Amino acid sequence: MDWTALWLSLRLAGLTVLILLPIGIAAGRWLAYRDFAGKGFAEALVALPLVLPPTVFGYYLLVAFGAASPIGRFWEAAVGGQLVFTFEGLLLASIVFNLPFAIQPMQRGFEAIPAEVRAAAACCGLSPWRALLKVELPLAWPGVLTAMVLSFAHTLGEFGIVLMVGGSIPGETRTVAIAIYDRVQAFDDAGAGRMSALLLVISLTTIALTYAFSRRLGRRLG
Amino acid sequence: MPSLQRRRLLALLSGAGLAGAGLLGLPRPAAAEGGRPLVAAASDLQFVLPELAAAFEAETGAAVELTFGSSGNIARQIRQGAPYQLYLSADEDYVLGLARDGFTRGEGRLYALGRLALLVPAGSPLEADGSLADLAAALRDGRVTRFAIANPEHAPYGRRAEEALRHAGLWQAIRPRLVLGENVAQAAQFAVSGNAQGGLVAHSLALAPRIAARGESALVPAEWHSPLRQRMVLLKEAGAVAGRFHDYLSTPAAQATLGRNGFVLPEGTR
Amino acid sequence: MSAVAGLEVELEQAGPIPLAAAFSCAPGEVLALVGPSGSGKSTILRSIAGTYRPRGGSIRVGGACWFSAGEGIFVPPHRRAVGMVFQSYALFPHMSALGNLVIAMGQRPAPEREARARGLLELVHLAGLEDRRPAELSGGQQQRVAVARALAREPKVLLLDEPFSAVDKATRQRLYREIAELRRGLEMPVVLVTHDLEEAAMLADRMTVLHRGRTLQTGTPEEVTTRPVSAGVARLVGLRNLFEGRLAAPRQADGKATLDWAGLVLETAGGLEGAPGRPVTWVVPDGFVVLHRRDRPSRGEHENPIPGIVDTLLVIGQTAHLTLRPDHDPRLPIHFSVPLHVARRNAVARGVAATVSLLSEGIHAVAPTPEAQEAGG
Repeated sequence: MDWTALWLSLRLAGLTVLILLPIGIAAGRWLAYRDFAGKGFAEALVALPLVLPPTVFGYYLLVAFGAASPIGRFWEAAVGGQLVFTFEGLLLASIVFNLPFAIQPMQRGFEAIPAEVRAAAACCGLSPWRALLKVELPLAWPGVLTAMVLSFAHTLGEFGIVLMVGGSIPGETRTVAIAIYDRVQAFDDAGAGRMSALLLVISLTTIALTYAFSRRLGRRLG
Repeated sequence: MPSLQRRRLLALLSGAGLAGAGLLGLPRPAAAEGGRPLVAAASDLQFVLPELAAAFEAETGAAVELTFGSSGNIARQIRQGAPYQLYLSADEDYVLGLARDGFTRGEGRLYALGRLALLVPAGSPLEADGSLADLAAALRDGRVTRFAIANPEHAPYGRRAEEALRHAGLWQAIRPRLVLGENVAQAAQFAVSGNAQGGLVAHSLALAPRIAARGESALVPAEWHSPLRQRMVLLKEAGAVAGRFHDYLSTPAAQATLGRNGFVLPEGTR
Repeated sequence: MSAVAGLEVELEQAGPIPLAAAFSCAPGEVLALVGPSGSGKSTILRSIAGTYRPRGGSIRVGGACWFSAGEGIFVPPHRRAVGMVFQSYALFPHMSALGNLVIAMGQRPAPEREARARGLLELVHLAGLEDRRPAELSGGQQQRVAVARALAREPKVLLLDEPFSAVDKATRQRLYREIAELRRGLEMPVVLVTHDLEEAAMLADRMTVLHRGRTLQTGTPEEVTTRPVSAGVARLVGLRNLFEGRLAAPRQADGKATLDWAGLVLETAGGLEGAPGRPVTWVVPDGFVVLHRRDRPSRGEHENPIPGIVDTLLVIGQTAHLTLRPDHDPRLPIHFSVPLHVARRNAVARGVAATVSLLSEGIHAVAPTPEAQEAGG
């Protein structure tokens, strides 16, 4: 049982979700409320990771962040280390790759708010920030929650990109998904089986708890 | 907002904040100097290297972290800046190439010679015939539909498997039935899982108890393929512990362990 | 003439929604914005509220400038003290009725808010329903919460966007009465957008007719519906008796003018400008068309008698809606209505001959239609 790998996976998923929360709300809200030339293109860009195979994505990430690239070199100069083969690199890749999982449900959530209700919030004297907190988020929260759960679950299961961008560095980039793959290759079926079962239980529990909680919250907020 | 809702929101926010702080702040296990240095090894060492590392730790009190893959893959990662400190390759060409391009400290040392073996799972229609005559017959009469080797593009044992199959005149016939493993350990996995009727894998893997228990193996003549000169090298950023492990692997005790596990010892060659 | 505390609106833009509107509303006055769909009424309302920013114009309330394109001033909606009742009410579904009001009371210190909110809900006859969510309230109740919420803001302007369109007729009648009562206590300008002329006539002190974003006429409902300034306005306020004629005599001894309508001479109420022979577009509201009684034929006793044949007869409820084709010019029928019993008593039916009088005080000249201008030169 590779607890380091499990903790790594949970950290990666947790941080991805935390960072994507404000990004998703801002982007989802913007796309929901505004209409502008090129909106279709922006939405397609957001949706790209959904249709792109993880390995294609991983390849471009290597090209973009690798040691030879400008971004890689900048990172090296700024932080003193690599982006690839590090947890930070994985986190960055994970954030980008989870954008559609975070943004799209949130966008739907905000779109579901009738435009007149938003106008009413402004007419009731609520500044845009207070309107977000008191009216929009309470109404769009199912979308926000779905986005968070999807991103978390998706990151826990991410394999292709982690493999390409992260290598399998224990304690750094060997997530539990990779560790399971490792165990299978090492003919350690028992180990692989244990970790797989644990991952399954964690994923199921997360999703079940989330939906149960959301139902109760939904009853209160109506 | 009623006070109950406000309190709950506050609790939620502080919980999230703590979680965030915890996730970020937790010190990461250092994979470099001071901590446990990363040793990247070819997959044929999957079973013997952990044994060697344990012995090393028992003796010196210092521990290393092991990661396995195909030699070519590891070499590529090193070129991309992977934080390995010691590289045990199954093919010295990769090591020499890295040395030439300045990634290593010197040209390293030959630590073993590898052998290729035919592995067949229990219940397979194939026989463990190292001369591959039975394999040839099986190809003719349709007994074999899938045959596992490591990917010749970046796995040394895969390349040698191709060479051996070509030498036996079986390459064209067997090509459409090949299943390629990412590395030789995965090829062995395919071979014994029953999903293939057999495979050409590292002798060291075929001997490992876990695999030997699930099938039979036979050595393929070493003259049928180019030699598997397995070379190890310390990388540029290697620390003290990695260096000591590197030296340990050449000690008689370590060499004996390697010999027991299917490797041929280099006999003082460099 | 605008009072210091009133609303003054001037809006100009070519597109995407064309606007060329100007009107004002005094404190305590109810102004109805009337026009067909697409006439820009809601856009104007949203401009006053601040949720829409027009390209040009200005909006001033009580001397304070909320918007001025020329000076680059634009006060965002949450900083305007405006109370708006939306067509769909737009109540916050996740809050109770009380909650909806309390959140709009940012201008009051927190301890006062709940008490004031309860007071307002009582004012709109919703005491006891404070803790209900909008989904648990009927349409009429939701509408009242919406009104109370708009008032909770203590607004300087109250805006109502077709507030009764989603409500059934019976409830609507009741709401009209309640709103009429309520407004007596209001001291701010109230702007009501509606496409229903009767509603406007019932609730508003003054009315502005809009078409494609342009204000055509502002005046009391009575003025606008009986003395429209143009044929366009006439049509928009539902006047169908719109005809072309020529000026016969601008001013006679008794102050009246006469029109020549395809050979028939009509007397109008007041004098008309212009030279004899000039084309005149004129209108007479339905209410000024009187049916002659069959059993008492008149000759010259009534004003402007028009004999003709009844063309259509439509009975709706207790009213008979009729059109009459005048003998002298059967091209354009005259529309009018009478109570059903009158129609029966006079044996009015399709194809039957009848005579009506056009009361001269109802005959009103409007600006000519473009066609008449072209034809008459």
